[in-house]
Amino acid sequence: MVNNKRAKDVFNSPGVRSLYSSLICIIIGLAVGFIVLLMLSPRNALSGFVTIIKGGFSYGGLGIASAIANSVPIIMTGLSVIFAFKTGLFNIGAAGQYTLGAFGGFLFAIVLDCPWYVCLIMATLFGAIWGAIPGIFKAFFNVNEVITSIMFNWIGLYLVNDIIYGGGTGVMYDRNYTKTYNLKVYHPSSVVPTWGLEKVFNSNTVTIAIFIAIIVAVVVWVILQKTKLGYELKSCGFNKNASRYAGISEKKSIIISMVIAGALAGLGGGLYYLSGTMQWNPQNSNSLPAQGFDGISVALLAMLNPLASVFSALLISHLAEGGGNLDPRYFSREIANLITGVIIYLCAFSLFFKNKINDILGRKDRLLALKIERESIRSMLPTDKYVESDDENAQKEEADKAKEK
Amino acid sequence: MILLIKYTLLYGTVLSLVAFGGMFSERSGIINIALEGIMVIGGLCGVVVLSLLPATFSPFLAVVITILVAAASGCIYSLLLGFASINLKADQTIGGTALNIMATAIAMIVAKLVNGSESARVLYSNKSFLFKIGTLELNVFLIIAIVALIFAVIFLYKTKTGLRLRSCGEHPQAADSVGINVYKMRYLGVGISGLLGGIGGFAYIVPAVSEWNFEVGVSGFGFLALAVMIFGQWKPLRIFLAALFFGLFRALANISSSTFLGDLNLSSNIYNMMPFIASMIILALTSKRSRAPKAEGIPYDKGSR
Amino acid sequence: MDELNVAPETIVSNNDYIIEMREITKIFPGIIANDNITLQLKRGEIHALLGENGAGKSTLMSVLFGLYQAESGEIYKNGEKVEIKDPNDANKLGIGMVHQHFKLVDVFTVLENIILGVEPTKNGFLQKSQAREKLVELSERYMLKVDPDALVENITVGMQQRVEILKMLYRENEILIFDEPTAVLTPQEIKELMAIMVGLAQEGKSILFITHKLNEIMAVADRCTVLRKGHCMGTVDIDKTTKTELSRMMVGRDVDFIIDKAPCKVGDEMLRVEGLSVVNGHKTTVSDVSFNVRRGEIVCVAGIEGNGQSDLVYALTGLMKETGGAILYGSDRMSGGKSVGSVNGKYLHGKDTGDVVYVAKDGSNINSKFLHVGKSELNKEFCPQNDEGGHKAVSLRKINRTSIRQRNAGGISHIPEDRHKFGLVLDFPLEYNLVLQRYFEPEFCKKGILRKKNITKYANKLIVDYDIRSSLGAKSLTRSMSGGNQQKAIVAREIDKDPDLLIAVQPTRGLDVGAIEYIHKMIVRQRDNNKAVLLISLELDEVMNLSDRIYVMYEGKIVADLDPKEISVEELGLYMAGAKKMDNIGARDNPFLNEVLSIEERLNDGKLPENKRNELKKAYDSVYERFVAREHEYTRPNVREEVGNGKQ
Repeated sequence: MVNNKRAKDVFNSPGVRSLYSSLICIIIGLAVGFIVLLMLSPRNALSGFVTIIKGGFSYGGLGIASAIANSVPIIMTGLSVIFAFKTGLFNIGAAGQYTLGAFGGFLFAIVLDCPWYVCLIMATLFGAIWGAIPGIFKAFFNVNEVITSIMFNWIGLYLVNDIIYGGGTGVMYDRNYTKTYNLKVYHPSSVVPTWGLEKVFNSNTVTIAIFIAIIVAVVVWVILQKTKLGYELKSCGFNKNASRYAGISEKKSIIISMVIAGALAGLGGGLYYLSGTMQWNPQNSNSLPAQGFDGISVALLAMLNPLASVFSALLISHLAEGGGNLDPRYFSREIANLITGVIIYLCAFSLFFKNKINDILGRKDRLLALKIERESIRSMLPTDKYVESDDENAQKEEADKAKEK
Repeated sequence: MILLIKYTLLYGTVLSLVAFGGMFSERSGIINIALEGIMVIGGLCGVVVLSLLPATFSPFLAVVITILVAAASGCIYSLLLGFASINLKADQTIGGTALNIMATAIAMIVAKLVNGSESARVLYSNKSFLFKIGTLELNVFLIIAIVALIFAVIFLYKTKTGLRLRSCGEHPQAADSVGINVYKMRYLGVGISGLLGGIGGFAYIVPAVSEWNFEVGVSGFGFLALAVMIFGQWKPLRIFLAALFFGLFRALANISSSTFLGDLNLSSNIYNMMPFIASMIILALTSKRSRAPKAEGIPYDKGSR
Repeated sequence: MDELNVAPETIVSNNDYIIEMREITKIFPGIIANDNITLQLKRGEIHALLGENGAGKSTLMSVLFGLYQAESGEIYKNGEKVEIKDPNDANKLGIGMVHQHFKLVDVFTVLENIILGVEPTKNGFLQKSQAREKLVELSERYMLKVDPDALVENITVGMQQRVEILKMLYRENEILIFDEPTAVLTPQEIKELMAIMVGLAQEGKSILFITHKLNEIMAVADRCTVLRKGHCMGTVDIDKTTKTELSRMMVGRDVDFIIDKAPCKVGDEMLRVEGLSVVNGHKTTVSDVSFNVRRGEIVCVAGIEGNGQSDLVYALTGLMKETGGAILYGSDRMSGGKSVGSVNGKYLHGKDTGDVVYVAKDGSNINSKFLHVGKSELNKEFCPQNDEGGHKAVSLRKINRTSIRQRNAGGISHIPEDRHKFGLVLDFPLEYNLVLQRYFEPEFCKKGILRKKNITKYANKLIVDYDIRSSLGAKSLTRSMSGGNQQKAIVAREIDKDPDLLIAVQPTRGLDVGAIEYIHKMIVRQRDNNKAVLLISLELDEVMNLSDRIYVMYEGKIVADLDPKEISVEELGLYMAGAKKMDNIGARDNPFLNEVLSIEERLNDGKLPENKRNELKKAYDSVYERFVAREHEYTRPNVREEVGNGKQ
């Protein structure tokens, strides 16, 4: 009996309800992807679709490694978006914070030749600073954080490119490859170690970055769920007036939240570029790093759950890997991006779906609440004076009254 | 100097068209973050049709057709935002962001398809869009922007529909209580915004160059237009002036190397940054007393009490 | 009354009725708002719809107005069945409605609001001049003066209601629905509105008047239909019924809102407000307000909505910064702020030397007798003199600059007027809301980590002690709880903090009788436990029944200091409407005070030569004597009748 009830609770729990709606989004997203494939080349659509689904598994360890390595930055930007969202802020600026994080990493690796953990800390710090700016604008000037963080995405991008490129003579710029210097070659101590993972995957792309990302996801979850800070930030996100009433400073919360969000995205940039396999191209950066926006997909697909973001990031990275494996003669790799875009679009109202599901499932709760309310009123009143308000009783009451008279 | 005016008008035109789009949408109560994506889609469709038209095609008709295509495609794309945010009451910002991401992906896929190669670069001829007054080279979009300005002023303040549209952005419950269909008005607002955004995207790409790489998208102009709209306080004339002001900043980047500014030895990155920094400073200074439509961003639910 | 006049009338299709709603049932998720309700409106009558909060009155009217669709039931107009799918249909049938929350666009002009939805146009262009003529003609005919070009946000609430009425008249509606129209009006405005309604009925308009105020029904209505918890309790003729009977039909039992309470035993002064002013936006909403609250009494600030009470409370609780004046608070739990008082006859000077302070004394007439102690060295000479007779003086702290959290922890509790806006985080579980101002205390939080077990334990204790009901106990989502239990949760949280000062703002708004009685009981218990209570209320009955003293606020000023035992509701209403005013309210009105202060200012000037100083001291002594004498004299403020009060 008790067990049965508990089992029911599990299926009804908010977490599981979220999972349902995420799954629906993924399925519809994939379906749209398939339709696009069909439109582009009906004959190859099925094999193309299979390629996307297989994703990182197409090329054994190498593909898996690549999918994992690419999931690290988007786990971090995803966490960044989640963290801000819990305080009621939409951090669309993860791209810029990520860029600055990458820059911080390069600066301390290439110019100052610091060990990898120092570089990561600096990446985090640079991201935090860039995240703080929209927070400050929001808290003190009441400028919408969405607009500010978009603006600072571009400002950050141009700034970083300008400093790295330096008119072709930047200290971090390797003219031979038109990118930043290869860390593996020139600054091996600044590269995030692999601790033998390269043997597991037979690829040098996977580093301990993935473990760092997972640990950070757990830490974020703990902060949000278990701590005073989490309580305050969430309270501000849900109802800033009530938070003020409770003595929580809204401005402080906004800034703290954006600083932490920025730090997470910055660490993401650091983890990605300090892996040693990627270099920054300061000239080919007229568009913002996609990892910033993928973070939004990761966050929404994870239904804003920090732990789930690890899985949603792996999924999105897996699909992107699959998109890359498509035969370019028939399909362009951006189909994977399209699928992600569709998934976010659906997620935008899947929060609505989720609320609807909650509404329907919650109706029972509310009916119960109503009943309880009635009882509570009755319990407060002198017992026999309370008359249930159906017509019969009312008529009886009136009849009694008439008799009295 | 002529060059500076040319580029100022060019970018000012784009910004004002797109910012007008944002204004119509927000006046009806929908925040349109998707303008960037709508610009990409409008630009993409216009450019692709333009590149496919035979060289012998009448230049006048080509201009009309491509602009109509850009407008229509932007409008249709914006309906996706309308559907999500009006019917399904989705978070407007997230929905808009999703459309932006999808737009880039769609643009790449279509551009590559049109090229039949792995490059997203599309070539076309833009001669028919340009005309000259003296030595000043102008484009047809300037005329469209001015028409849009006049239309916006008359529509918002002089017509029945304009009054109703504004009431939906301020107090949809009031509008509903006097029998105005809030959903319809909001669709109208979003639709007009898509139309103008689409033209704006086309106007950003076509007059300046004769080939476009869609990997770049429209590099943040949609967002800049939102800043222009806020700076213009959701009022048509002020938006137009604000757009020219921002256009000037952006124009500096284009002419920096060819004029005296080149001597300052600043990289183009710095100039590219300028409009964004300027907009941040202006927003910080003005937002305290800025007055957005009261109901914007809030989904309207008929049944809610 | 020999006849039983509440038997449900038999339903006949009848042209006497301009509108008939038959057997209407409307269900919302989790609640049956209307259960089989029949309502018949005669041509040219004023028909009242009476019921408690949540009885389903507004829902029924929204069905008639096309805002909601009923699950079952039919609507007839002049005996013909009609479908009302949206407000447009209602409008076509000549049904208009003044909503409880006005449906006006703030940034539009009066004219634009009136024509919205029925704009006269030519080729799609607005023809405002045409509309203006019609509006002017209407407002003259019905004596409803408005300025067509004023922005709605700039006109008074009473004026906004006129705009709503004109909106209906402009549409030539024959059936006018008024949804709780008097809640936001002054008694005088209410009278005017009643006259307007009667006039409209005489012109042949049929009026549906939703209210829960019996007096208003007795004054204007012809007939009355009573709803209770979604059920129809019957329709009665007003001239054949009494208030008692109506209230019994409405509540289901005899209700007398008289609360049993012992005479109050006033103790130390807990709150003293001196010359407080608040500016909100560009408007001075609270201007130069002075009053005090002592232990063991319920002091009420009465007034019509929007006369500055909200901002006064925000300033007291720290949600808003005051622009002038002092908030002095008497609990020793307050850690912040500046100590400015004395204890047990011995003057203790606080760290601050720059502030003018008062020390209240215990005694029979503490309200009128307080002593000024001033600042700096010189006070030592004067203060012992002040404490002659061994009075125990109370230490007060100036808390103007303390944070909200300091005030919370210092024993000030606040039941906010809007429980959804300020009182609760609706998306938190109940237990989190019950520790909303205490989550950081060592009991609930250790080294930054929440101690969830303790939180749940504490929440369960409150749930039992205060009888808060919800489906999942401490873990229930607060949003899913009913309004009454949400309010109980707030009351539990605020009272369980054992506050020295409880500020309760409209604590019973929107609740039904049971919950109202419970909350009133809790507030009285607080007072009987020798705590100070400041009650802000708009409900005259609540004000009269609960309070031990009444201050009336009008246009940001305190205009009366009244004893509920000595004053009638009518008189209270006159003060609330600004028709009557008192002079000499609060400390600032002692004519010698300024003199005392200014001399003291000069005395504190260190550069003052010794001989001048002695001279001044003498002058000070004499002025001070007169000041104190006046303070003794000060009993009740003078009443001044405002002649030709500006309303109309």
